[in-house]
Amino acid sequence: MGAMPAIEAVALVKEYERGVRALDGVSLSVEAGEIFGFLGQNGSGKSTTIRILTTLLAPTAGSGRIGGLDIRREAGAVREKIGVALQEAGLDDLQTGRELLVLQGHLYGMSGGAVERWVVELLQIVDLEDAAERPIRTYSGGMKRRLDLASALVHAPEIVFLDEPTTGLDPIAREGIWRYIERLNREDGVTFFLTTQYLEEADRLAQRIMILEAGRIVAEGSPEALKAAIATDVVTVQVGEASAVGRAADVAQGLAGVEDVRRTDTAVAIYLPEGSAAVARIVRLLDEAQVPVASITLARPTLDDVFLRATGHHLAVDEGLDGATA
Amino acid sequence: MMRTATATYWLTKRALREALRQPEVELPQILIPLFFLATIIGAANQIAPQAFGVSNYTGFQVPVAMVQAVAGVASVSGIVMVTDIERGYFDKLLLTPTPRIALVLSRLVADAVRATVVSTVILVVGLAIGSPLEAGVGGAVILVLLMGAFGAAYSGIGLAISLRTGNPQAAQLGILIFFPLLFLSTAFAPKEVFEPWLETVAEFNPVTYLLAGMRSLVLEGWDGADLGYAFAAVGGIGGFSLGLTMLALRLRAR
Ligand SMILES: Nc1ncnc2c1ncn2[C@@H]1O[C@H](COP(=O)(O)OP(=O)(O)OP(=O)(O)O)[C@@H](O)[C@H]1O
Ligand SMILES: [Mg+2]
Repeated sequence: MGAMPAIEAVALVKEYERGVRALDGVSLSVEAGEIFGFLGQNGSGKSTTIRILTTLLAPTAGSGRIGGLDIRREAGAVREKIGVALQEAGLDDLQTGRELLVLQGHLYGMSGGAVERWVVELLQIVDLEDAAERPIRTYSGGMKRRLDLASALVHAPEIVFLDEPTTGLDPIAREGIWRYIERLNREDGVTFFLTTQYLEEADRLAQRIMILEAGRIVAEGSPEALKAAIATDVVTVQVGEASAVGRAADVAQGLAGVEDVRRTDTAVAIYLPEGSAAVARIVRLLDEAQVPVASITLARPTLDDVFLRATGHHLAVDEGLDGATA
Repeated sequence: MMRTATATYWLTKRALREALRQPEVELPQILIPLFFLATIIGAANQIAPQAFGVSNYTGFQVPVAMVQAVAGVASVSGIVMVTDIERGYFDKLLLTPTPRIALVLSRLVADAVRATVVSTVILVVGLAIGSPLEAGVGGAVILVLLMGAFGAAYSGIGLAISLRTGNPQAAQLGILIFFPLLFLSTAFAPKEVFEPWLETVAEFNPVTYLLAGMRSLVLEGWDGADLGYAFAAVGGIGGFSLGLTMLALRLRAR
């Protein structure tokens, strides 16, 4: 502790067009050896933040440091330290997977023999040995993703930025990537800055997360702390008819001790302490208000609830969103 | 410096490897100029001596075909660059510590190599169909070197457009721009037979001097002044196009 942060951003602002702010004062600090999760819905500014911190894009205002190096004035030295896989895998159709990785190694100044040996290992890690000699043009989407990830790790960087690293991967490949990230973090102390659409992924990997909403940070902390901060249970009522959601929300607002009510198209999430004691009462009141109830679940807060609380909406529809998984 | 040299080396290797993997892109750059060469000679060979005062019209046209082929391969380079930009591969390269200049230098070196190859092929075909080569083997070497330099110089146009716009349609302009340059030069006849306006334009066109230098080697032998002007013309084109390229590179890559 007390050492300089691995990644630091101070009041980053990005205006792509005059007056339209993709980032509106983003400050953050990631410690060396941390896995940091950056969440936010589409267009909230995650990729913009990554492009700025990795020296691809100049911020309109604000500053950033990577391992103590200024992203503007010492961009070259910053690039030596970081590995990056952008959201869109940036590959070259005509090279083979092996050629691309070897070239990448050479561009980081690695010497011939060392690159060749390391690339063999890396291809194994991302499970592409069999496709190594094929032109990348013939790879599937998931294979391209994995190759792109490998290319971010060729030079064994201390700090790695991954923009949605597992989007489009099947569950087995995703698990493999997660394990590898965890291993690099644990054994080599590699710092990770990753964005994701999967709350499950953030929950599993990230030691600390930040939620971005329209270019501003709206929540920050460890997943556990953020969940605990809600300090309530969540009773989720799936309403049988969409037209009755409003009535259900009214009922929920009237409950004694209720802390918050959030509604979606078909459901109402009621945040209140001692949820188990309240369920019977909720059912009775909904019945009186003639709200058809499809299901009712009681859960400890999930990261999705954290997200919903912070932004007023769910992150995305995916397998991690089941509310009742806790 | 060292960094720039090694990065340029590896990226050049990649560029040449990819050129070899796409013969369908490289071959037309040779075949189309040869087709023009055949048709122009077919049309004008008989009247050329009286009409233009050109003794060997085949020898007069071979340099045109060489220049055209080299402009073709050089323009492909801009299109390859724009493809890298579109695919995001260019960003991946920018994320490495590769000195920015190496991204352009490697293309220029690869283009120079490709230019010497295509111009050699055209020259050999030209000789086979009856072109003289008064300056002999040494002249052939100079011709090909001149074409290597012209390839690098001309590719700057396409590279500048690609870097600035990132737009594949715009990148096609590289070769389209070449046709007016060619037609406003002495490509078809010596400028002595031109209308005054065209003669004036041709006198300001660097391609005129490039062709004059090449033709001197093919038709007459060694002429230091003509060769000097030819290399100066290539230098002028290169200075202009590479200046634009560096500007465009600075705007795209930090
Ligand atoms: N090159 C650009 N020019 C103009 N606007 C842009 C550009 N890139 C991004 N934006 C805008 O900036 C905002 C943030 O985009 P960004 O790509 O950073 O979001 P994101 O959080 O990564 O989204 P996603 O989850 O969809 O990847 C969006 O409103 C987007 O339209
Ligand atoms: Mg994004």
